[in-house]
Amino acid sequence: MRAFVFTDKALGRQAGRFVWLSINTEKRENAPVLAKYPIQASPTLFVIDPVGEKVVLKYVGAATVTQLQRILDDGARTAGQGRGGGKRDELLAKADAFYSAGQNKEAAEAYRAALESMPTTSPSFPRTVESLLFALSVSRQHETCAAVAQNAFPHLRASPSAANVAGSGLACALAMDKAVPTKAALVSALAGDAQKVLRGPRTGLSVDDVSGLYQTFAEERGSAEDTAGKTRVLEEWAAYLEAEAAKGKTPEARAAFDAHRITAYLELGQPERGIPMLEASERDFPGDYNPPARLALAYRGMKKYDEALAASDRALARSYGPRKLVILNARADIFDRKGDAVAARKVREEALAWAESLPKEQVSERQIAALKKQVETPK
Amino acid sequence: MRTSSAAILAATLATSGLSTKEVLPFIADDYPRALALARAEKKPIFLETWAPW
Repeated sequence: MRAFVFTDKALGRQAGRFVWLSINTEKRENAPVLAKYPIQASPTLFVIDPVGEKVVLKYVGAATVTQLQRILDDGARTAGQGRGGGKRDELLAKADAFYSAGQNKEAAEAYRAALESMPTTSPSFPRTVESLLFALSVSRQHETCAAVAQNAFPHLRASPSAANVAGSGLACALAMDKAVPTKAALVSALAGDAQKVLRGPRTGLSVDDVSGLYQTFAEERGSAEDTAGKTRVLEEWAAYLEAEAAKGKTPEARAAFDAHRITAYLELGQPERGIPMLEASERDFPGDYNPPARLALAYRGMKKYDEALAASDRALARSYGPRKLVILNARADIFDRKGDAVAARKVREEALAWAESLPKEQVSERQIAALKKQVETPK
Repeated sequence: MRTSSAAILAATLATSGLSTKEVLPFIADDYPRALALARAEKKPIFLETWAPW
């Protein structure tokens, strides 16, 4: 959103309506803010009433300009600005309150109630569906999530939410237990919706959502054991991202696609394809740990372990916060693949010590337990 | 907004930590300052939580 959305002049009219705050969740000093406003995915957007510091609206994921305008309008209204709300607004505000508090089961129920009284043409319909899908997904109600997405998709097919709804629904359908009788039909229907988005016009869709949809669709082809089909989707995904990156007028705009591109190349089994872009990003952003961290993954995929470790060294020198754990984990794995179990164990011990030094808002008990297990029972 | 590994990556694109010219006057990493300003100006806070990856 930083490279493409917050820079859009169309948002100028919103500038005076809010106090704008950005919080880097990797920084230790921001842990108290995370304690107050917990997140489950990044980015998460909040509208907060400063009286009582109450969250009135939360949105998980990247938003397009159009989606953000709606979030801001709904948020400002609920926070007491603008016109007062009727029954429908009350239901939505109640759902938003549960969602903001991380009570996803209750939020899902309340969003479903809000949707029942909301015409599909309501400007709030798309973001209500998206929030409902996230609440259902994280509370592991995968079948309901897939069914909601399937029902909502025809109404959102031409909206900026189309890719996200098809992708979230398909991910939920794929996550369903094999034994559930409706699984096959839901996967098939949502894979069809995914294809409609990927084959249709993409105006108004965020690159982020389209890219995520490609990845989920490739996963679906993989689960159908269609190897050729999966490769075709991965190739299309990589080509799409390369074309989007080529449109970028600044190094920032180009590098914004690095994370997705390297994932696509790794899944294709062609990590070498990512080396030139990552080397360019490392030159353009010498203080950023991301390019060398991604280079380490690419070299690991190419079995060039010494180059991978050298890149990992550079990433570690620039890293901080919880992300350092990811870099250390990859480093331990590189040593394992190189056959150096002693070095791998030492890195895992370092990762555990780092995890234990982080504020509790930046690392979960589960992550610490998993690291402990890895140190105690090495491969 | 998805929770699979795909979703985690999907979120990364939009949260690139690279600095760009913003149309909106963001305060970076200073919650107390934003809160005081919001109370003084009687405006809601828009909070973007992001990570540079």
